[in-house]
Amino acid sequence: MTVIGTAAVVACSCTLFGMVEGLRHAQKISGDPLDLIILRPGADTETTSGFDRIKADELATLDGIARDENGVLLFAKEQLSIPVVERSNGSRANIIVRGVSPASAKLRPKFTIVEGRDFEPSKGECIVSKTLAKRFNGANLGGILRCGDKESYRVVGLFTAGGSAAESEVWVDIKDLGRNNQQESSVNCVQLRAAGTEELVKLKTTIENDTRFKLAAKRESDYFAAQTRSSTFLQFFGGLIAVFLTFGAMFAAANTMYSAVSTRTREIGTMRALGFGRMDVLICFLGESIILCAMGGALGLLATLPLTALSFGTLNFDTFTETTVNFRLGPTVMIVAVAMTAAMGILGGLFPAIRAVRLQVISALREV
Amino acid sequence: MADGLAIELRAVTKQYKRDEFTVPVLESLDLVVREGEFLALMGPSGSGKTTLLNLIAGLDYASSGEVIVHGQDLGRLSEGQITRWRANNVGFIFQLYNLIPVLTAFENVELPLLLTNLNRKRRRENVMTALRAVGLSEREDHYPRQLSGGQEQRVAIARAIVTDPYLLVADEPTGDLDRKSAEEILNLLEQLNSEFDKTIIMVTHDPIAAQKAHRLLHLDKGQLIGDVVQVPRLGAAS
Ligand SMILES: Nc1ncnc2c1ncn2[C@@H]1O[C@H](COP(=O)(O)OP(=O)(O)OP(=O)(O)O)[C@@H](O)[C@H]1O
Ligand SMILES: [Mg+2]
Repeated sequence: MTVIGTAAVVACSCTLFGMVEGLRHAQKISGDPLDLIILRPGADTETTSGFDRIKADELATLDGIARDENGVLLFAKEQLSIPVVERSNGSRANIIVRGVSPASAKLRPKFTIVEGRDFEPSKGECIVSKTLAKRFNGANLGGILRCGDKESYRVVGLFTAGGSAAESEVWVDIKDLGRNNQQESSVNCVQLRAAGTEELVKLKTTIENDTRFKLAAKRESDYFAAQTRSSTFLQFFGGLIAVFLTFGAMFAAANTMYSAVSTRTREIGTMRALGFGRMDVLICFLGESIILCAMGGALGLLATLPLTALSFGTLNFDTFTETTVNFRLGPTVMIVAVAMTAAMGILGGLFPAIRAVRLQVISALREV
Repeated sequence: MADGLAIELRAVTKQYKRDEFTVPVLESLDLVVREGEFLALMGPSGSGKTTLLNLIAGLDYASSGEVIVHGQDLGRLSEGQITRWRANNVGFIFQLYNLIPVLTAFENVELPLLLTNLNRKRRRENVMTALRAVGLSEREDHYPRQLSGGQEQRVAIARAIVTDPYLLVADEPTGDLDRKSAEEILNLLEQLNSEFDKTIIMVTHDPIAAQKAHRLLHLDKGQLIGDVVQVPRLGAAS
C-alpha cells in the first residue's frame, strides 16, 4: 500500500516536473536579446495580434535592422493559423501553422532542417518540426498534412529548433498561408533583429510612438517571459498536486507504520526485554519506513523513465494550441524525487517510531 | 557469588499509578533465592506474580526497597544501564513465546547475540549449541509459524540461554501448551537447572508444573506465603 502510494507520488511528480522543466527549457532558449517582436498594441500574444501587411512592409524600411552575412535583412513577417489537425491516435488538436518569410529561420536559434529540404513558395509545401511529425497524421516526410477543410500541405522537410517554441509548429510560406485563408492583407506579427543595443532602443521608440506605426515592440525575451506565466501556472498547479500527493503518501506511510507499531507492540517489548535500546527501536522503524518509501520511489522513477523518450503535447494556456515539450528528467527532477521519498519516509515514519520508542517495556509485553 | 545468593529482595513494594489512584501490588516483600535454585511462583491472577518477576528481571523498578540480583542493586542502574544489564544477565521465556515472526528459528536465537561483539562464526556456533540443547538443530531455517507451540517455546528457550545468562525467568512458560509439550518444556528447564546450574524463576498456574521446581512460593495480596521447600539440600534462607 505504502509502496504503491509512494510510487504513484513519485511518478506523478516526476512527470509533472519533467514537463515543467521541458516547457521552461523550450521558452528559455527562444529568443536572442536583440530580437524584437512587433505586435498590435494591447496584444499579449501573436495569436491575438494582427495589423496591416502594408504597415509591416513599411517597418522593413526602418534603419537599424541587422543583416546576416549574405546581406539578407533579418526581418520577417509572420502569420499564424491554428487549424484542427488529426493526431496519430485519431483524436484532434490545434496546431500552429506559421506563415513565414525567408528570414524567419535565421531569427530562430538553432533552426536546422534535419531531413528533406526547405519548402518552396506557391507549391503548397510545408516543413514540420521533427517532434510534431510523429504525432500528427500526414505530418511525416512526404505526407500530406490536412489542416481543416481548406488547407493542405505536402511535407517536404523536417526541422529542429533546439527545443524552442518553434518545435511545436508547421511552417509554410506566408503568402501561401494568406492565400489559403483569405488573409493576404494582414500579418500577425513581425520579428526582427536589431543591429545593436542602441538600434534596438531606437527601433522600439519609433515603432511604438511614430504615428505611422503605433505598434507594440517587445523584446523577444520579455515576450517569452510573459508567456512563461503559463508555465508558472502549470508549475504551480503541478506543485500543488505534488504536494497533495506527497502528503497523501506520507499519511499512507504513517498509517502503515502506526499499524506496524501497534501490531508489533509485543515484539517491540520483547526486543527491549532482550536488551535492545530505545535507539535501536527508533532506527528500526524509521529504517523500515524509509525502505518502504524508497522502494516506492524507485518504482515511481522506473515508471516515469520510459517517458523521457517521449515528447509531450501539452495545451499551451495562452494560445490553446498543442505545444510540444520534450520530457526532461534531469538531475533536478531526480533529486527532488529522491528528497521527496526520503521526506515521506522520515516524516511518515517518525511519529509512529516515536510511539514505538515511548512504549514501556512491561506494558508492551502485556499486549497480546 | 561468594555467598551463593542469586537474588535478594529487601522490603520491596511496588505500586502502579493509574490516573489519580495508586494501585498497591507488592507490599514489603522479602525474598532470598540461592544460586542454582529452581523456584516456582504461584498465586491467583492479579496477585502480582508478573510484577515481581519484572522487578527481578530488571524490566521495571521497585517503588521502594532493594532488588539485588547477582550482586547488583538494580535500583541504582539507569535505564540504559539496566537494559544492558538485562542483555548480559537475564534470559526471558514468555507464555506466548514472543518469537519474531519474520525471522527464522536461527535468526530468532541469534537476536540477543547481535548485542554482543561476537563475530558471525562465533554467533553461529553459539546459536547451534543452543538449538541443539533444546533438540531443534534441524529446524534452524523454519519460521515460527511452521513450528508447533511446543517447538516455538523450545526456540524461545534457546534464545533465552544463548547468551549463557545468569538467571532465567519464565512467565507461565507452559500456559499455552498441551500437557505433553508442557512436560517437555518443564523437563528442559529442569535439565538446564540441574546440568548447567541455571537459577530459574518460573511463574505458573499449573500445580503439576510447580512440582518440577525445588521450591514453591505463593503470592497473595502482595505477600509471599508458604515457602515450601521441596528439595532438602536447598533450604530457604531467611
Ligand atoms: N502497568 C500497569 N499499570 C497499572 N496496573 C498494573 C500494571 N501492571 C499490572 N498492573 C496491575 O497490577 C496487578 C498485578 O498484575 P500482575 O500482572 O503482576 O499479576 P499476575 O499475578 O501476573 O496475574 P496473572 O496471573 O493474570 O498473569 C493487577 O491488578 C494489574 O491490573
Ligand atoms: Mg502474569
